[in-house]
Amino acid sequence: MSTNRREFLKLLGTAGVVSLAGPVPALWSQAIGAETKAPGERVLVLIQLAGGNDGLNTVVPINDDSYYKARPGIAIGKGAALKLNDAVGLHPSMTGFRDLWDTNRLAIVQGVGYPKPDRSHFRSMDIWHAAHFSERIPNGWIGRLLDQTVSSSSTAWEAACIGLDKLPLACLGERVVPPTIQRLEEFRLTHSGRDVAVVSSPAWKQVAASASGSGELDFLRRSATAAVTSAERLASLSQEYRSTAAYPSTALAQRLKLVAQMITADLPARVYFVSLDGFDTHAQQLPGHAVLLSELSSAIAAFFADLDEKNHGNRVMLATFSEFGRRLAENGSLGTDHGAASVQFVVTPPGKGGMYGTAPSLTDLDDGDPKFTTDFRRVYATLLERWLQRPSEPILGEVFAPLDFA
Amino acid sequence: MIHFDAPAAAHLLRRLQFGVTPAEVDRAVRDGLHATLERLFTPQPESAEFLASQAALKDAAVATASIQDLKAWWLHRMAGTANPVTEKMTLFWHNHFATSAVKVQSVPMMVEQNDLFRNLGAGSFRQLLTAMARDPAMLVWLDGNANRKRHPNENFAREVMELFALGLGNYTEHDIQEAARAFSGWHLRDGRFWFNDSQHDDTAKTVFGKTGRYDGQAIIDLCLDHPACPKFLAFKLLRTFVTTEPSGPQVERIAGLFVKHDLAFAPVLREVCSSDEFYAAEVRGSIIKSPVELILGTLRPLCERIRWPAVRDLAAQLGQDVFAPPSVKGWDGGRQWVHATAWIQRWNFLSDVTGSDRYGHFRSEVREQIQQHPREWVTALFAVPLADTMHTAISALAPDERLPFALSLPEYQLM
Repeated sequence: MSTNRREFLKLLGTAGVVSLAGPVPALWSQAIGAETKAPGERVLVLIQLAGGNDGLNTVVPINDDSYYKARPGIAIGKGAALKLNDAVGLHPSMTGFRDLWDTNRLAIVQGVGYPKPDRSHFRSMDIWHAAHFSERIPNGWIGRLLDQTVSSSSTAWEAACIGLDKLPLACLGERVVPPTIQRLEEFRLTHSGRDVAVVSSPAWKQVAASASGSGELDFLRRSATAAVTSAERLASLSQEYRSTAAYPSTALAQRLKLVAQMITADLPARVYFVSLDGFDTHAQQLPGHAVLLSELSSAIAAFFADLDEKNHGNRVMLATFSEFGRRLAENGSLGTDHGAASVQFVVTPPGKGGMYGTAPSLTDLDDGDPKFTTDFRRVYATLLERWLQRPSEPILGEVFAPLDFA
Repeated sequence: MIHFDAPAAAHLLRRLQFGVTPAEVDRAVRDGLHATLERLFTPQPESAEFLASQAALKDAAVATASIQDLKAWWLHRMAGTANPVTEKMTLFWHNHFATSAVKVQSVPMMVEQNDLFRNLGAGSFRQLLTAMARDPAMLVWLDGNANRKRHPNENFAREVMELFALGLGNYTEHDIQEAARAFSGWHLRDGRFWFNDSQHDDTAKTVFGKTGRYDGQAIIDLCLDHPACPKFLAFKLLRTFVTTEPSGPQVERIAGLFVKHDLAFAPVLREVCSSDEFYAAEVRGSIIKSPVELILGTLRPLCERIRWPAVRDLAAQLGQDVFAPPSVKGWDGGRQWVHATAWIQRWNFLSDVTGSDRYGHFRSEVREQIQQHPREWVTALFAVPLADTMHTAISALAPDERLPFALSLPEYQLM
């Protein structure tokens, strides 16, 4: 057991008095006594690219005339793209990803989408989060994964959402409420002159968690208990995390740095959810999109350099997703409108990098958009079955064939 | 028959104003439900002091073009007004037609839109939606000027259907594309709505299966006459004022009220508040307080000399930055408000209310009253009954520790 881990458990000694009645209240409360749980478990990091990432200008079809014809003002030139093979090149700002590609760690899944694509941001994002198509969606695929581990006999899994200002639907389960952590300094309980924060007192914990309730009150009890436990646990993480990896000063890089800090400290989360916003590039897309892709690529490169250095890189898989891609044709404002199929990136342990799925045709379109060739739930099935080694059918509702990146 | 006792009165007041005091509960019980609703839904004179302070704050915000000051003005107004239902409806419409100053970048436009919600929000949705389609802040927010004859921009047309009038599933992508053409040329010039004839596409469009040479107003009228519109409004009203998860039959009933009142908002809300169903046990305490509800609902009864800039920053930190909603969909609300970071910050706020003067000064007379009349205060502050174990735990504490302890309970987050 690492020193860090031991420090945590020592610190958590006082939190152990929480008696949790009722149906397994919350994650983050489970691991209090989980000394038996070995560190070094596999971790999944999800990065949401909110707004609808333009896959065609991200993984550029450098030898497809239809692409250049449809985008006279905003196409990425064949010479400028970072060539990966004869068919595609990365956006020129993604040098960090090119390095991951060169070390055989970058998997690119092409043409990812779902049948009857919805072009509303909100609805399509809900579909990706829920992996479900019903009108009212009560929970998400990660939430269902966590629920499943609560029901099984093994230790319940935990997740954490970093840098978000709300709990994403993907992580919402029936029985679990993962913490959202914006910044460490915002995650400290203040005492206002008392010895301990009210909610850290044994009397409060006893009372707040013990009574039964239903509906919103039950949810509040579970999430409150989880939040107190998270705060107590994270109180031991130092403000200064040492790393020789050169994390850029971007928001995403700082969030991933916190994720790296939590992973290397053996905090119990198995899934981390992070978001990068701003991909809704309707107008003047070239400069803004380049900045976003650079932020994405350089942050992830630094994240893995850091994890590798601390020997945790091989137990972390990272996958990106976005609610949709964009139209093939550019619009009248040098931007692109909401589309359908797009690309997904997965950073894998070395050896599994490469191209997966089939690039969609740019001549056989669905209402102006490339048609999907790989259902996104196959990617989820891969992450669940092959990486996290959990059965995917109960979570996804049907069987999807995994891909070979894991 | 509604038994309008103290808990019922406190429930009504919690939903129609920001926070409740025992004195207000007493008055409502004495007056009875009918007279209380009559008072809440009839314009009340504002005090000279309130009018002067709110005007000073608003003028300063406009004069210095400070959106931050404007946010403080509105929060001050919500807490201090003699007409809280008006501010509740204004906040409701701000969330419904969620427009952010981050993109609009104009204090006068945000003021104009906010006053429009205040002036038209109680009346007919027909008038409000018609005005919103020409509202300068909205025209900037949803790219009115980018919608040109040869390059239609779908932004406003999509949101009119998806988020303002109908809801998902009641239109097709084709309806949006056609409606976008009808709104082409609805532009903004010198800060005002301007019908730019040269950029308007006046050819025929087919929307909801009907064809005509529609302009923007025709599309708005088609949406207002669409059967999904009253249902959509009913759902939104129920979610904000009644319960987070409205049932299908509930939505149908309230939609019927919207039809009966020709889409007028306040009459429907008032009728809802006098229905048996509104006072059902499962409705009371069924909504998780928004940051604004939590902050103002705590400070107004308990504190004086409130520090509005600190309050404004806290609301933003907790996820409800007024005049800057996260997207055109507004705040998701409900369970989304209380993720872990928000819990920590909500507790830190409640701890500061009783233990510091960071957000205002705790009223000394309230400290005494709470010790003398704890039950009345519990009725005013809590939307759900506290379990016996909680009462026992609270009584075991030193007097000064009781309120901080109680406010930190999950129960306090409900309204």
